[in-house]
Amino acid sequence: MALWAIGLAGGTAAASSLAFALTNPAIGSDVGEPLVIAVLSDWITLSYVLCGLLAWWHRPASRFGPLMVLAGFANYVTTLAWTNGDVSFTVGQAFDFVPPVLFLHLFLAFPSGQLSGRFDRALVVVAYVTAVGLELVRMTLGGFGPHNLLEIAPNPDAALVVVRVQLLAVSAFCLTGVAVLAARRRRSGRPLRRSLALLVNAFALALVMIALLFVAIVLDGPAIAQIRWATFVTLGLAPVAFLVGLLLARLARSAVGELVVGLHAEPGPADLRDALARALRDPSLTVAYWLPEFGSYADLDGRPVELPDDDGRTTTLIDRNGSHVAALLHDPALNDEPALLDGVTAAAGIAIDNARLHAELRARLQELRGSRIRVIEAGQKERQRLERDLHDGAQQRLISLSLDLSRLEDRLGADPDARTSLDEARREIATSLEELRAVARGIHPAVVSGHGLGVALEQLAARAPVPVRLTVTVEGRLPERLEVAAFYLVSESLANIGKHANARSASVDVARANGLVIVEVADDGIGGADTEKGTGLRGLADRVEALEGRLRVWSPHGGGTRLRAEIPCAS
Amino acid sequence: MRVVIAEDSVLLREGLERLLSENGLEVVGSCSTAEDLLLKVRSYAPDVAIVDIRLPPTHNDEGLRAALEIREHHPDVAVLVLSQYVELGLAMKLLAESAEGAGYLLKDRISDVADFVSAVRRVAGGGSAIDPIIVSTLLSRRRSDDPLVELTPREREVLELMAEGRSNQGIADKLVLTLRAVEKYVSSIFGKLGLPSSGSDSRRVLAVLLYLRS
Repeated sequence: MALWAIGLAGGTAAASSLAFALTNPAIGSDVGEPLVIAVLSDWITLSYVLCGLLAWWHRPASRFGPLMVLAGFANYVTTLAWTNGDVSFTVGQAFDFVPPVLFLHLFLAFPSGQLSGRFDRALVVVAYVTAVGLELVRMTLGGFGPHNLLEIAPNPDAALVVVRVQLLAVSAFCLTGVAVLAARRRRSGRPLRRSLALLVNAFALALVMIALLFVAIVLDGPAIAQIRWATFVTLGLAPVAFLVGLLLARLARSAVGELVVGLHAEPGPADLRDALARALRDPSLTVAYWLPEFGSYADLDGRPVELPDDDGRTTTLIDRNGSHVAALLHDPALNDEPALLDGVTAAAGIAIDNARLHAELRARLQELRGSRIRVIEAGQKERQRLERDLHDGAQQRLISLSLDLSRLEDRLGADPDARTSLDEARREIATSLEELRAVARGIHPAVVSGHGLGVALEQLAARAPVPVRLTVTVEGRLPERLEVAAFYLVSESLANIGKHANARSASVDVARANGLVIVEVADDGIGGADTEKGTGLRGLADRVEALEGRLRVWSPHGGGTRLRAEIPCAS
Repeated sequence: MRVVIAEDSVLLREGLERLLSENGLEVVGSCSTAEDLLLKVRSYAPDVAIVDIRLPPTHNDEGLRAALEIREHHPDVAVLVLSQYVELGLAMKLLAESAEGAGYLLKDRISDVADFVSAVRRVAGGGSAIDPIIVSTLLSRRRSDDPLVELTPREREVLELMAEGRSNQGIADKLVLTLRAVEKYVSSIFGKLGLPSSGSDSRRVLAVLLYLRS
C-alpha cells in the first residue's frame, strides 16, 4: 500500500516539475527548450522512483530500492529551483548537486544498498558535503536572482570560482568511484553475472557522462546542450538496466523448471554441477559434498575441498531431511536472489544426494587405494630388510667360514681323512650358500633395486628355458614397487612358459607410453592358458591390479600366449 | 702386485686381506666405502682393486658405480668385482667395451683359494675373470639352429674356460692337456662359431660373451 502511495507521489512530482518548467520560461534560456529539459528531468525522476519501487517490492530487505526512490525524489527536488516561491527556490537550488552524488552512492552501494568499506563511505560523505556545502556557500555569494533567501554578500567572481571547484570536484568523485569499482572487478578475476554486468556498466557510463558534462561546463566546451541531454538519457537508463537485471533473474527462476526437467533425465553426477551452474547463471559455481565419515568436504572425485572464507566467494549450505549434504561455492551476487538459490537447491535435492554418495564412494576408494599401496610398500620394505639381513649376515659369515676352512686345509698337511672331511664341510657350505641365495632372491630381487629393471631382466632372459628376445625401452629408473612387480611378472611368466607353453621362443617387451608402463611377454607355444584355473595368472593379475594397472592375457589354442600388463606411472 | 680392497663386511675384508698377503700379494689399502676406495685408488695407484658390488650407504649400486669410475678414469688399475649374486646384466655393464683388466666373480669363489688368487693375478695383469655361472647361464639356452650344438663336449669345456677369461695355458693346466691341443680346440671353436680369432685373451672373452648373448 505504502509503495503505491510513493509511486503516486512520484507521478505527481513529475507532473509538477513539468508544470514548473512550462510556467517559467527563464529556465531553458541557456540550455534549451524548457519542455525538453523538463521531460529529460522527469525521465530521470520517474525511472528512478518507479524502478526503485519495483526493487523495493521485489526485495523488501534490500536498501537498494529505497535508495533509488530517494535518488528520484532528490532529482525532483532540484526542479523546485524552477519555481518562483522564495523557499521552494532556495531549497531546490541547494539540492542542485545532490543527484549526481546520489547516483555515485547508488553505484557504489550496489547490490546490497549498503556501502562496503571505509573508502567507499568516505568518498560518498565527502561528495555529499562538497555538493551541498559548496552550493550553500555559492548561494550566499548571490547571482541566483530575487528568490534566493541565502544571498548575503554578492560577489560574482567568487561565485564563479566556487561553481568551478564544485563541478570539478564532483566529476572527480564520480570518476574515482568508477575506477575503484573497475579495479575491484579486475582483482576479483571473475566475470560478473550477465544481469549485473549490464547494470554496473550502465551506471558507470552515466557517472562518466556526468563527469564529462561537468568538465565541459567548466571549460565552456562545445555542444554542452547535447552532452547534457545524453547524460540525462544515460542516467535514466541505469534503472532500466536494473529492471532488465531483475527480469533476467526472473527468467533464471524459470531455469529451475528446466533444471527439474534436466535432472529428470538422470544425468551422471558429473553433469550435475554444469546443470546447477546453468540454472544459477554462475559459470564459476563449484559444488562440495559433505562426507560425514571424513568430517570434511570433497569434490565429486572424493578429493578434499576447503571451503573458502574470502569475500570473493560465497558458500551456501544445502541440507536435506535434517542432515547436511553439500555446499555451493558461488558468486556473492547470487545472495541477492535467495529465491533462485532455494529453488535450484530444492529442485536438485535428490540429484545432489546421489552425487554426494558418489563422492563418498570415491573418497573411500581413494582411501582404500592409498592403504593398498601403503601395504604393498610396507611389505616390500620388510622383504628388502630381510634380504639385506641375509646378505649382510648369514651369507657373509658362511663365505668367511668357508675361507677359514680353506686356509686350515693348507696347514693340515697330508692327513687324507681330515682333508676329506674339510672338503665335505666346504661343499656343505657352498650348498647352503646356494640355497640361501635362492631364498633371498625370492624374498626380494636385490638386483632390481640396485641396478634397475633392465639389468635384472637380462639375467632372467638369459636363464629362461627358451631363447628370449628382450627389449627394454624404458629410460632411467621407475618407482621401485613398479620395477619389482614387473620383475616378478616376467619371472613368473617365463617360468610358466617353461612349464606349460611348449614354446620354441619368447619375447619380453618393456616400454613406456601415455603415462603407462607396458610389460608384454609372448611365446609361440601351444596357448590355451586359463586365467581361472590355477593361481599363477590370478596371482600376477593381483600384483598388477594392486598398482592400479590391469593384466590381459590372450591365449588361443595353438596360437601362443601373450600377456600384457599396463601399469600407470606418472612421468 | 699391489691390491686395494673395498668390502663392508669386516669378517670378509680381513679374510681377504689375510688370504691375499699369505699368497704373496701386497694389500696396500682396504676400506668399506666407495668413496674411500676411489681415494685409495687415486693415492696408491694399485695394480688391482677388489670391490664388493654392494657398499654403503644404500647398498644398492655404489660398488659397481665406483668400479665403472675406476675403469673410466684409471685405466691402469684393474677391477675385480665381487658379488653375492651373479647377474648377466651387471657383467655386461662392467665389461661394456672391453674385458681387459676386469673381473666379475661370485663371492663364494674366494674359498677356492688357489683359483681365486690366480683370477686376481690374471685380472691385475690385464686379463679377465668371468664367473662360471655367467658363462653357464649363457650356454644353457638351447637353440635348434645354434652352431653351439656342433661343438664336441671337449670343445664346449674349452669354450667355457675361455669365456671365463683363462689363457690357453690356463685352460691346458685345468683340463690337463698340452698347450698345442688347446690351441687346436680354440681354432676349431672359432671356426665353427664363425668368429674371427682375436689376439688377446680378454678380447677373446668379450667376443665370446657377446656371441653367446646375442
